[in-house]
Amino acid sequence: MELSLGTLGSAATALALGLSVYALIAGIAGAMRRDARLQTSARLTAVAVFLATTTAVIVMQGALLTDDFSVKYVAEHSRIDSPTWVKIVTLWAALEGSVLLWAWLLTGYTAVLAVTTPNHALRPWALVIMQGVQVFFLGVVAIVANPFIVLANPPFDGPGANPLLQNHWMMAVHPVLMYLGFVGLTVPFAFAMAALITRRPGTEWMQLTRRWTLAGWGFLTAAIISGGWWSYEVLGWGGYWAWDPVENVSFMPWLTATAFIHSVQVQERRRMLKSWNVMLIVLTFALTILGTFLTRSGVVSSVHAFGDGPVGPVFLGFFVLVTLLSLGLVAWRWDQVRDRAELDAAVSREGAFLLVNVLFLALTFMVLIGTLFPLLVEAINGSRVTVGAPFFDVVSLPMWMLVLLLMGIGPLLPWRKAETQSLSRNLAWMAGGFALAVAGALAFGLREIYPVLTVGLAGWNLVSLGLLLAGAIVPRARLTGRGLAATTMRYAFEQRRKVGSMVVHFGVVVVALGIAASSGYRTDVQLRLPYGERVAFSQYELQALAPFSERGAGRVSVGVEVAVFQGGRQVDLLRPHINAFGNSSMTVPTAAVRYTLGHDLYLSVAGAIDPTADAVIMRVIQSPLVTWIWFGAVILALGTGWALVPARSQPAAVSAPAATGRARA
Amino acid sequence: MNRKLAYGLAGVGVLAIAGFMIFQALSTSLVYFILPNEHAANPAQYEGRRIRLGGIVTPGTIAFDERDLRLTFLVTDGIVAYPVRHTGAPPELFKESTGVVVEGRFDGGTFISDNVLVKHTEVYVAEGDHIDIELLRESLK
Repeated sequence: MELSLGTLGSAATALALGLSVYALIAGIAGAMRRDARLQTSARLTAVAVFLATTTAVIVMQGALLTDDFSVKYVAEHSRIDSPTWVKIVTLWAALEGSVLLWAWLLTGYTAVLAVTTPNHALRPWALVIMQGVQVFFLGVVAIVANPFIVLANPPFDGPGANPLLQNHWMMAVHPVLMYLGFVGLTVPFAFAMAALITRRPGTEWMQLTRRWTLAGWGFLTAAIISGGWWSYEVLGWGGYWAWDPVENVSFMPWLTATAFIHSVQVQERRRMLKSWNVMLIVLTFALTILGTFLTRSGVVSSVHAFGDGPVGPVFLGFFVLVTLLSLGLVAWRWDQVRDRAELDAAVSREGAFLLVNVLFLALTFMVLIGTLFPLLVEAINGSRVTVGAPFFDVVSLPMWMLVLLLMGIGPLLPWRKAETQSLSRNLAWMAGGFALAVAGALAFGLREIYPVLTVGLAGWNLVSLGLLLAGAIVPRARLTGRGLAATTMRYAFEQRRKVGSMVVHFGVVVVALGIAASSGYRTDVQLRLPYGERVAFSQYELQALAPFSERGAGRVSVGVEVAVFQGGRQVDLLRPHINAFGNSSMTVPTAAVRYTLGHDLYLSVAGAIDPTADAVIMRVIQSPLVTWIWFGAVILALGTGWALVPARSQPAAVSAPAATGRARA
Repeated sequence: MNRKLAYGLAGVGVLAIAGFMIFQALSTSLVYFILPNEHAANPAQYEGRRIRLGGIVTPGTIAFDERDLRLTFLVTDGIVAYPVRHTGAPPELFKESTGVVVEGRFDGGTFISDNVLVKHTEVYVAEGDHIDIELLRESLK
């Protein structure tokens, strides 16, 4: 057999799969017999699997960068004159490559876990579960969707990556964040299963994986919002979220993960919700797999879907297997995870967390119904339907309002039972903040119910955050005699989790305001802009200067330069254009945006640019506070990061070593 | 026990309300994808409802008023043709005999569109009056 990058890649993936299968078997045997040598062997093999998969990824990058069209994946998705960064990200621009990336990140996480997890009773089984998931993904890469298949008659050039993906650098970031999130949430799932298997349904599994869960959640959040920004900049409609199936399937695990990071705290503090937490993490993990099935199998059509193939059914099978096995395990260990403690009072921290959990699950259910309903209708009477965005808005908006309401109350409530006096005083302050914000919104001219409510609830939450911070800082400052600023700094460094969560909640308020304003109050028109003339739009005047066309690497752009005037002075020069990539017949209108803190001015070429015409038709959108969503996302990420950094001099709590005296018996 | 029962009932109540809201909202926001002949068979069912109408742009019927940005054309499936009125520029690649899906509502016999999607139906070419309905439906998917 001739040595080529294709055969090398296939060999690397086959090796990774073989090693992974060995690690799985050795891991199971080692865990069952409590054999420390087998356990160590499985752990070391996990590192070898990672190295083998890394080799496969490097080989694929090599094939992409050297335009080796004898490799099927390269032939189908790459192109010689594409710029280097596009060639690199082509690894995840299509199905087979993105599964390879997913598998690679998974092997990386497993290797890190194998090396760094303290010697704990849960470790052997948790690694077995990780290894099992890994065998599936490596199996898909090696057998079902092998990107390294060697073509007998390689073409001289390929079609290049999907134009929509090439059109924005965010595509280099967003999918990686998404898979980091999905893989990160596999870790608590693995530890939860290990906890059930080893009959240790306490809080160890969630404490050991707290950072992994939070990091996974953070990555998923960042992935979803960066995907929204990609959509905003690339799809030309001035929106960022369309309730498209691909968006929905990434949103569902986010919803359940958000519920999870709140409900684990109830178990940590009150030893309640054991089975609930296990089910939530099972659901979260299963939804990441279901989502991949839905969008990668072509069963739901979507603007972003990769299309048909044998990968879909395989993921469906894996989804069914995961669900049955995990739920079977929960049923088998039911007497262990049954809650013995009861809710003392509904008005308590745990009561609020429970309620917000129900809301997040209801939202998940709504998104699932809305995404799957077209399939159901088509199966029943053959009609082809889509569920419009109004459905999701109508159903979810009241629930979002309740979420914002609870977000203000929950953190102020004590565990077990709230003391009525301090609670009603806090509520009075927050209601004051709500009323003030609503009055401000009405005075500003807002009339729609949900934007007004959102502004009101923003006031409610800001007061709540203020009370929370003051309640922590003021007594400390009094006690120590230090100044308020110094105490705040100290508090921020000592109570990273609490402060991190406050920052995240503040970020949520900022994002919520951005969404409310930009979806409720946007102006969206098409304007004919004769060249050289100033056309009034809102507080601006737009002047189309001249059409231009330019060539980039693997790309041809035609567009129009538009001068933006405000108060007679030119404030910006925007260059909305249309990109064409390679010899693809598909062209991508590329919007130009003037970002400001108050609102965005968004220009997108409508129709074609005719160089002989005396005017250009432009879609002009003005939407307020869109940038707040992206700023809010940064705040969210900072808050999550802050909560992730370990506080100084806090020893890792290991409550139970894994290798007990019986290991060699 | 009573407390558990109360929480259980509250939970069921919340779920029932949520379920009712979901199905209520679903029934009003389903957007059907149909071809002109399906509309002609039962116009009352779709009157005033938001739908997605698929078909081929009938040659020689495209008119675009640059001043008012008003685009009109006929969309056909070979059996029935309907006039479409759209506000905005014709999308790039919009031309005669190409497959389109228009989104909007019927107002009498005219379709008022707010979105025109051009479908790259290279498999399908309109040849006179002979149009394979199933092929058309598939290619507009």
